[in-house]
Amino acid sequence: MRVSYDWLKDYINPGISAEKLAELLTLSGVEAGSVEVFGCELPQVVVGEVVAMEPHPGRSNLTLVDTNIGNQTLKIVCGAKNMQVGDKVPTAKPGAILPGNRIIEETDIHGVASPGMICSAQELGLELGSEEEILILDQFSKIGQPVDQLLGFGDQIIELELTPDRSDCLSMLGVAYEVAALTGREVKMPPMSVTETGETLSDRIKVAIADSKLCSRYTARAVDNIIIAKSPLWMQLRLLKAGIRPINNVVDITNYVMWEFGQPLHAFDLELLKSNEILVRKAEDDEKIVTLDGMERKLSAEALVITDGKRPVALAGVMGGEDTEINDATKTVLLEAAVFNPTNIRRTARRYNLPSEASQRFEKGVNPEAVTWSQDRAAFLMHELAGGQVLKGIVDQDETPSREKTVEVDVLKINQVLGLELGKDLITDLLSRLGFKIKEKGSGILNINVPLRRSDITIAEDIIEEVARLYGYDKIPVTLPRGELLGNVKSDEEKVHDLVRDILTSCGYYECITYSFINPASLGSLRFSKDDSRLNPIPVQNPFSEEQAVMRTTLLPGLLKTIQHNYSHRELNQLLFELGAVFEPHSIPLEELPNEKVKLGLAVTGQVPDPNWVNPSRNADFFEIKGVLEALFSQLQIKDIVFSPEAMPFSHPTRCASIKLKGKTLGYLGELHPDIAGAWEIDQPVTVCEIDIQLLAENATLIPRVKALPRFPAAKRDLALVVPKNIPADKLEESIRQAGGHLIDQVKLFDLYEGKQIPAGKRSLAYSITFRTDDKTLTESEINQVQEKIEKALSDLGAVLRS
Amino acid sequence: MLYKLKELENDARSTIEGAKDLEELKSIKVQYLGKKGELTGILRSLGSVPAEERPVIGQKANALRQELERAVELKEKSLKDLQRQDIWEEERIDVTLPGRPAAIGQRHPLTMIIDEIKDIFTGLGFQLAYGPDIETDYYNFEALNIPADHPARDMQDSFYITEQYLLRTHTSPVQIRSMEKQAPKLPVRIICLGKVYRRDDDATHSPMFHQCEGLVVDRDITFADLKGTLDLFAREMFGPDQRVRFRPSFFPFTEPSAEVDISCIMCGGKGCRTCSYTGWLEILGSGMVHPRVLEIAGYNPGEVTGFAFGMGIERIAMLKYGIGDLRLFFSNDLRFLKQFS
Repeated sequence: MRVSYDWLKDYINPGISAEKLAELLTLSGVEAGSVEVFGCELPQVVVGEVVAMEPHPGRSNLTLVDTNIGNQTLKIVCGAKNMQVGDKVPTAKPGAILPGNRIIEETDIHGVASPGMICSAQELGLELGSEEEILILDQFSKIGQPVDQLLGFGDQIIELELTPDRSDCLSMLGVAYEVAALTGREVKMPPMSVTETGETLSDRIKVAIADSKLCSRYTARAVDNIIIAKSPLWMQLRLLKAGIRPINNVVDITNYVMWEFGQPLHAFDLELLKSNEILVRKAEDDEKIVTLDGMERKLSAEALVITDGKRPVALAGVMGGEDTEINDATKTVLLEAAVFNPTNIRRTARRYNLPSEASQRFEKGVNPEAVTWSQDRAAFLMHELAGGQVLKGIVDQDETPSREKTVEVDVLKINQVLGLELGKDLITDLLSRLGFKIKEKGSGILNINVPLRRSDITIAEDIIEEVARLYGYDKIPVTLPRGELLGNVKSDEEKVHDLVRDILTSCGYYECITYSFINPASLGSLRFSKDDSRLNPIPVQNPFSEEQAVMRTTLLPGLLKTIQHNYSHRELNQLLFELGAVFEPHSIPLEELPNEKVKLGLAVTGQVPDPNWVNPSRNADFFEIKGVLEALFSQLQIKDIVFSPEAMPFSHPTRCASIKLKGKTLGYLGELHPDIAGAWEIDQPVTVCEIDIQLLAENATLIPRVKALPRFPAAKRDLALVVPKNIPADKLEESIRQAGGHLIDQVKLFDLYEGKQIPAGKRSLAYSITFRTDDKTLTESEINQVQEKIEKALSDLGAVLRS
Repeated sequence: MLYKLKELENDARSTIEGAKDLEELKSIKVQYLGKKGELTGILRSLGSVPAEERPVIGQKANALRQELERAVELKEKSLKDLQRQDIWEEERIDVTLPGRPAAIGQRHPLTMIIDEIKDIFTGLGFQLAYGPDIETDYYNFEALNIPADHPARDMQDSFYITEQYLLRTHTSPVQIRSMEKQAPKLPVRIICLGKVYRRDDDATHSPMFHQCEGLVVDRDITFADLKGTLDLFAREMFGPDQRVRFRPSFFPFTEPSAEVDISCIMCGGKGCRTCSYTGWLEILGSGMVHPRVLEIAGYNPGEVTGFAFGMGIERIAMLKYGIGDLRLFFSNDLRFLKQFS
């Protein structure tokens, strides 16, 4: 809502500057987004009077205009044709500066010196008329007066950013009431006493409402003998300040009055109505109307229409019909001011995509009191400005349920909610400033009569907010809530998330956050089999683009997109992780909320650490991630983890493992299939992993239990084995542990070799085994004994001891 | 004889002093002090000295032996020192070389802010609460006093899944879920941090972003408590000198409602481009829980009151870290992420 500060002064004198007023409004909840100056300074542009005109000697399309600017008469060459002798016109003298820093000087135009320029509205920076059309000023303008002053340039426009509840401030008077409450000054109503003549309107026109739920009041007034013309410049300028395009006097008046009272008005050409009966009803299916914008619209039964008994003449509250539009020949105007159902208007405006200043006001609810005020005000202006004669009476079909609104509130409650101790008198005083009428019912209960313009106020809490904002939010004290505290602020799962982030970041990984919605094609690129549920994501009904069309079922596409993005920026070495939900529907379309499962995704590529002078870099591969996972499992004290070779649809066929926790699937870890990496434009190996954090958290132990330090020394033996390649390392370790039994303290693989000196199909593994018991120092022979057992077990697996 | 001793002393001293290394010193020691050494030779030849001179010369010779031994020791120490000097020099390192890289990654900047918020509020006894990203129309709108066709639905353009399900447009549904779970037990004191979704995409809007929701419900919770809690939050998050301003506003699920501004962290409140020359930055919305919301969620608005607040995490992160473009958060560009470690 754009509020001209000068215009506002018609209804209230705030007594403070526009900037101060804007700040005051903002702090009271009517946010002023900006204060901007209307127009600009126009030095050396003054009112001139056209005293004579003669054709240019050389060019027939130019005119020499004798322009009296008070102390002298300038002979100015002018291309426009719309002025007449006697007109007052904006005249730029040599030295004048127009918008866009256009400097006017005396120039020679086809052999005639032109000491200045007569200006169009657009040349002065106004969105009025056409460029070839001189702006004709009001006849009573004073010759020689600066034009910027005359046009009200320098006025300040306060742009209000209103919250949906404050529709009362969608009008100058509503704003004036608010200013009155804040400054204690008086509101002045604009003149609206009408002199009625001629016919009584109710004899000529009948109004009926078919559905009072959709239209609770419909009023009509008529003005006869109208002369359609431009509205006076002052009104056009005010509309421009409000952001409304001036059209003609009748339409401009309806808009002007809407800006004043917040009540949209519609003007019909009465003579174009096909009967004398106006009926407000729901549209019939497939009924048609051509609206003011020239579009033919097919209506459905939900839309409310105004009909002339034969056909729809307006889409109620949204847009009028072309057939009964005000035109240059209009003589008699029928003015409509009505109250329509907000929800219905909102739906209609949305369905036909016709948001307007009018529908915006109806949607939020108009003030039923303002209906007749605005009728009278508009009739008054049509009489004053368009020469109309106002017919007698208003036809008023009024089915408003109730005009009284009272809210009861306890002073104690006000203070309890706000944490204040305000006296009853102060509260009464604050609320009266808003025009609320207060009766005390005794024992601190206030009975408050709320003016109808404040449709947002219905319950005691609304009154509490009014008290608080007028008292000043800044004056309310600052305390902390007292009362009982609850324990257990962080769940175990939350703690696991924190730990995962701690471990991964301390291992050099960067956390990513990618969109929850992904491109379905990115799932396609991962080659899931047809029955894989990951290929069946939840679609978003109204996505921005295909990129964000479905809810992710795996973190993989987001991570790969990130790797790709960074790779394309020559960041070849990347360690990334994301902790986030994937969405698993029970059915599509959804019939219940889907399963939102938190997963940990990892993706690595390139080398770690970055090449440096001291440490050799290694490939960020399968074992890079596996090491981090092992650190994580160990931190969470999770055992029973099994990595088994298993290719995933998107993985390298022989470099991928499924990960199981106590037999349940925890996730996978593997190198991305090189073809898929290639398809994502990453020309180096990428290794990815995704695990179920919920399952991990369920099995985690967060509190470490400490064992006493060993009292007896350990013995260490190294074993080097040559083993067929197809025996997995975990089998060997398991067999060592089994054979060694309780004497085993630790088994560590410290060397792996294949190649020269080792027969084909075999590899060499070297283990360091630590033996220990809690009750004594192990003797050499005891150790030898158990080592023999271990060697036996290993040789049963096909291992040969290397000496 | 005395002369001989004197001569030997001079000789030995200069030879010891002139020793170039430990090897040479060792043979010098043998040469003078060894069993067959020169001084020993003199002592041995004492017999040829007149008896009355013997004690004097013997004494002198012994004293000389001690002195020379000491001289050798000193020389030995200095030679050893010299030798270690060489070793030190050989072992010299260039302390200006870069250190062995300690590869440390970093949490996402949004996680950093989320963690900070969690710390502040868990310190005030708030519990962490959760809710799903895909919500029902009921929890996202209806239960929050936003019925169908309510103009407030225009404030948030939503991503729909079906007519009934949508991507939550705010974390406020968690208010209802938390109260429902707990009603009628008191107090409710929760925060929820999570993803929310709106149909907006430009430099200042992302279709997915993060919010923090807070809710306190108990007997005698006041607007002053809301102010105190958020005042404390702002100063913890942005610094102790932060000024906080509460402005009346509107949310369907709170009444009274307040928008909260902090003094501009760029200009300190003097007015600059970041704060549109107002000196203030809007950071969150808040208010007293609407009685209808309390009722819907299972509490008696006649007996309890509450406050709630909600803020955008990205906005806080942008202000705190001086980030100009919202889209950087979700590009996960390492050139961006690495600036936080």
